[in-house]
Amino acid sequence: MSSLLDLPIVRPPRPPAGATAAAPSPAGDDGLLQRLLAAQQTLTAVEVFSRDHDAGLPAQAKYYSRLLPATPPGPGQQYAFEVNLDRCSGCKACVTACHTLNGLDEHETWRDVGLLIGGTPTHPVMQHVTTACHHCLEPACLIACPVDAYEKDPRTGIVKHLDDQCFGCQYCTLACPYDVPKYHADKGIVRKCDMCHSRLAGGEAPACVQACPHEAISIKVVDVRQVIEDAEADHFLPGAPDPQMTLPTTHFKTSRVFPRNTLPADYYQVNPQHPHWPLIVMLVLTQLSVGAFIVGLLLDRWLDATTLTAFRQLHASTALGFGLLALAASVLHLGRPQYAFRAFVGLRHSWLSREILAFGAFAAAACAFAAVCWMRPDSPALPVLGWLVAGTGAGGLFCSVMIYVFTGREFWSFGRTAAKFGLTASLLGIAATWLSLVVYGLCVDAPAANRLLRQAGLPLIQGLAAATVLKLALEASLLRHLMFRRQSPLKRSARLLLGPLSGSSTARVACGLLGGIIMPGFLWKELAAADSQGLLWVVAAGMLFVACVAGELLERYQFFAACAAPRMPGRLNP
Amino acid sequence: MASILKTVGTLLHQTDGPLTRELLLAPGRFGLGQVPARDLPEAVTDMVCGYCSTGCSLRIHLRNGEASGLTPTTDYPVNLGMACPKGWEALTVLDSPERATTPLLRDDSGRLRPVDWDLALRTFVSRMQEVQAKHGPHSVAFLSTGQIATEEMAFLGALAKFGMGVLHGDGNTRQCMATSVVAYKQAFGFDAPPYTYADFEQSDVIVLIGSNLCIAHPILWERVLRNPHSPEIIVIDPRLTETAMSATQHLAVAPKGDLALLYGTARILIENGWIDRAFIDRSTTGFDDFAAFVAQFTDERITAETGLTAAQVHRFARTIHEGERVSFWWTMGVNQSHQGVRTAQAIINLALMTGNIGRPGTGANSITGQCNAMGSRLFSNTTNLLGGHDFAHPQHRAKIARILNIDPERIPTEPSWPYHQIIEGILRGKIKGLWVVCTNPAHSWINQHDCRDILGRLEFLVVQDMYATTETARMAHLLLPAAGWGEKEGTFINSERRIGVLKKVRRAPGVALADFAIFRAIAHYWGCGEMFAAWDSPAAVFQILKQCSAGQPCDITGIADYRMIEDCGGIQWPWPATKRQTSASDGPSTSASSHSPSSALHAPLPPRERRLFEDGRFYHSDGRARFLFEDPHPLPERTNERFPFLLLTGRGTASQWHTQTRTRQSAVLRKLYPQRLFVEISPLDAAALGIGPNDPVVIESQRGRLRARAVLTHAVQRGQVFLPMHYEEVNQLTLSAFDPYSHQPAYKACAVQVTRADRSGNLRSSP
Repeated sequence: MSSLLDLPIVRPPRPPAGATAAAPSPAGDDGLLQRLLAAQQTLTAVEVFSRDHDAGLPAQAKYYSRLLPATPPGPGQQYAFEVNLDRCSGCKACVTACHTLNGLDEHETWRDVGLLIGGTPTHPVMQHVTTACHHCLEPACLIACPVDAYEKDPRTGIVKHLDDQCFGCQYCTLACPYDVPKYHADKGIVRKCDMCHSRLAGGEAPACVQACPHEAISIKVVDVRQVIEDAEADHFLPGAPDPQMTLPTTHFKTSRVFPRNTLPADYYQVNPQHPHWPLIVMLVLTQLSVGAFIVGLLLDRWLDATTLTAFRQLHASTALGFGLLALAASVLHLGRPQYAFRAFVGLRHSWLSREILAFGAFAAAACAFAAVCWMRPDSPALPVLGWLVAGTGAGGLFCSVMIYVFTGREFWSFGRTAAKFGLTASLLGIAATWLSLVVYGLCVDAPAANRLLRQAGLPLIQGLAAATVLKLALEASLLRHLMFRRQSPLKRSARLLLGPLSGSSTARVACGLLGGIIMPGFLWKELAAADSQGLLWVVAAGMLFVACVAGELLERYQFFAACAAPRMPGRLNP
Repeated sequence: MASILKTVGTLLHQTDGPLTRELLLAPGRFGLGQVPARDLPEAVTDMVCGYCSTGCSLRIHLRNGEASGLTPTTDYPVNLGMACPKGWEALTVLDSPERATTPLLRDDSGRLRPVDWDLALRTFVSRMQEVQAKHGPHSVAFLSTGQIATEEMAFLGALAKFGMGVLHGDGNTRQCMATSVVAYKQAFGFDAPPYTYADFEQSDVIVLIGSNLCIAHPILWERVLRNPHSPEIIVIDPRLTETAMSATQHLAVAPKGDLALLYGTARILIENGWIDRAFIDRSTTGFDDFAAFVAQFTDERITAETGLTAAQVHRFARTIHEGERVSFWWTMGVNQSHQGVRTAQAIINLALMTGNIGRPGTGANSITGQCNAMGSRLFSNTTNLLGGHDFAHPQHRAKIARILNIDPERIPTEPSWPYHQIIEGILRGKIKGLWVVCTNPAHSWINQHDCRDILGRLEFLVVQDMYATTETARMAHLLLPAAGWGEKEGTFINSERRIGVLKKVRRAPGVALADFAIFRAIAHYWGCGEMFAAWDSPAAVFQILKQCSAGQPCDITGIADYRMIEDCGGIQWPWPATKRQTSASDGPSTSASSHSPSSALHAPLPPRERRLFEDGRFYHSDGRARFLFEDPHPLPERTNERFPFLLLTGRGTASQWHTQTRTRQSAVLRKLYPQRLFVEISPLDAAALGIGPNDPVVIESQRGRLRARAVLTHAVQRGQVFLPMHYEEVNQLTLSAFDPYSHQPAYKACAVQVTRADRSGNLRSSP
């Protein structure tokens, strides 16, 4: 009630004089108000009008029976949606019917209606497009899923989501080029269209088919081979992602000829995407950890290994600590973390499963390495173990890269992503080494730290600066797409970086310069000076580390937020 | 061991469980298919939808007697098992936190505070009576709606005029249907849309004028698409609408060039002898004058005034000629015009002269806007005395006084002022107290800045609404919380004259009361409760209204009660008791279910689809329809150097309704329409103005300015821009121009300037 009373009053008229000076109640009310209020709360429809019907074929079947195939799919066939675009007028009844008849939650919708616009002044074109899951031949959601929460029914071809198997990693929402699986945050799982498989099994039409006033949606049996051939010719739908990615089975048919300039209504729109913070932290810190171990190994090779024992203990612990922190963060990303143990189920096809396994092995190896560093510092197994850590870490990093490459998004191409993740590993590996050095000098052995600095300081500074320059240059190179006329996905990313995400872009560059150029420069000067052990030195190295990590976190934020996701033609929503 | 393995297996791969079961479906019974298993209906009941005039029936799923969900009614002759998004979400919007749950009274500090009904009603009475005592009885007026039940409209009109001594009251139907009312009344002798929806399926030529069925009436577009005759579909609309996109001929006429186009088409039909002389001679009058009048609409003139080519217009005329069953349909593009009545009559003229009326698949057909605009037209007691009677007619007054058992002297001898004169009356100090029922003038009335300023001058503004958050409710001195559709009983009348039943399937929130109950309470507190002693339920009032309709073209005395309406799948007026109709029909009523109509005894049931004028007799005393015409008038506000664009307004999406007080309460509907105001502009104009896709632009008229995002589309022609009407700020731009006969506002055309917004996008009001 209070919210209601706090409503902004739109130019209130003069309050009436003596508004509260009301007339006395009329004599002989007879409790009229009480009777009216009681009557208002009495429902009458059931007693008067309700009627029952015997069970049988749903009455509605007479409208939709011809929108269903006469026979179920045979071998080499499956069910598919067919949309007659000539009959799709954009009323969106299908969306609400699907919502209602499937009992979805308040904000949840499984179908969507986009819009294509184009043509010329004399032949303008406007085409609404109703779309849901395409029940692809090669569903990206299914392939991506680390827990096998998707099934493609061998008989019907329906791609079904197993809600109780899902642990909420949301990878399918990134993998599906059609933006079909929708994450349900309250439940911690994804849900999606299942072509109303239980309705189809009972001879009923899916909700959308039943409810389209214009019979624009029907269910057809399609030949798998035909779908593949059609995808080769790429006549799926103007403005839709390349059907080669997943071989969608929906057939959009039309007698209309779309002009070549036909584009989705939301084509020029750029909206930042969901950033997935736990993933950002996980990616950055795993890369830091792997990088730190590798830098440690390199120091072992270049310097006198016997002088490094104490430092190695500290550095391995630092790197391991960040690695474990990263893995903890990754669990936070799950909608239902209690089912994290299912993560390896999809090992045969899911890069996410492989990543989890690789980083699991990495964590085990790193633990062992750190333990041996402390307990058997002169063990001959140490170098082997070290390279095992580096190997599993690099493997995990490669899987991380492939997770994003698999989605087919240009912003997440192999070269771009591998370079980013690799450079982050080098950059933060070095930064973490600086951190270890500082802690080493402060807490363990100042003279030894100083000696180490004399030997390794310069290459560490040079390496850090070089990685920073390369990485910032790589990121900035995206902006060249702004010069191109074509509104490519990369141009959208560039527009996002300079538009809605410009604040984070500025911060990212500032952090990068501070941590990767300015602070190293300062340290270089200090290094050249006679005594480089002041508090200043500690603060500078600390700032270097914090700025580098912050810069990489921001870059990774943009990695998610600025990625132009492929999707079906969207609504007009400027 | 096996069970352990199984448990491990399930842990690793779980195909069933609580999450899966949440979405389980199960047979719904009652003729329904599968529905969510956790929400199985225990019973069902049907009622008509409460949004638009299509009048779809929705099957309400009941649990414990209360609505738990709905599906469209499969066998209702209107919607044939379909609904638009608004219908599907009709129950959702009842659960909004924005509902008015208790009366609210503005206190001395200017805040609305909850009060009880007793105080609210006493305040209503004392303040209104105070205003009347000070400024005369006619200084109180009401503005009502096409969204409440016929019985409620009648109660409001009777209470205000016969009980409270109010003279002026009008409805928001003035904003949508007044033009059709006047056009029909003048041409046919009664406000009588002649068609039945089956005509959509029976035509071989369908002409849609200023009507975007796909978006405004999706279920009527369903009926068009069910037409098995591959009809020629001609859309006359300046804009490429969804409907125009599906047309076989789209005549993108210049805004308000439709009148010249229709006259020119008539001229071509006459010149070629493509007319039905026999029908004209038998059933009409005034044709020769009309023929002489339209001779001036030469090809040169119509091409100049419509922007179309002569070939397009000739093809249109030839299509009408070649069609065997041509139906003409119009909506707001015609009605909301400075010359709407004559435009509607130009459409009627085409139907009359080609004999396309009174037969299946024909007609000059106005598609109404609101769910009960048609009820308002007959029974709101505003422009017409109850039952389509004339206030000025002594016998009509005597008849109604007799039926209502009141003193004939209590019935005013003149009709109310139309809406805009009431608003003007406030400005001129003639109206001091206003009672707004279920409408939102602070959003919807034309030239909004003026309107709000004027409403702010009232001494006492009462708003009776479902929601406490409407733009008008926020201005009220007193807010009376109303129960909504689904929380009360009564009837609606749809576009094709079909009466449908409303039911109480939800409990109103807080102490909100049905409008009917509020009127009863006010009658009691006002001291005229005795006069309305017989008005104790909507069903009782329905019987009174039946009597009022006796002998009128809208005679419904043959309808026994609500039960009969329901059993027949709705009943179109007329259905008189005296004369059992034998009119040709599209099959007998097949809906009659196993049980017999409660009180209709063995009376014949009305056929499900009936149209008017099958005998070629109209309602004028001579039985003839009139050809009515007039020279086209230029646009009231033409473009000029400062304001070079014409602003068109209209429906945005099928999931938005009017001022969105209801549709914005559904999360799903909100997803289906743009959240921000957008303007459609031609890419050519946009390029000239340096406006890119999605750029913020400022649109300015002489009356206001607003900010919108540019949508570049060739759907609008050069020199025109389009704004969807649902967004609050749009009517800041529109021009107070009105049709001189219907007094309907001309929302559809005014002059504006479009500029690219600066970075800050400042929108300080212009000096």
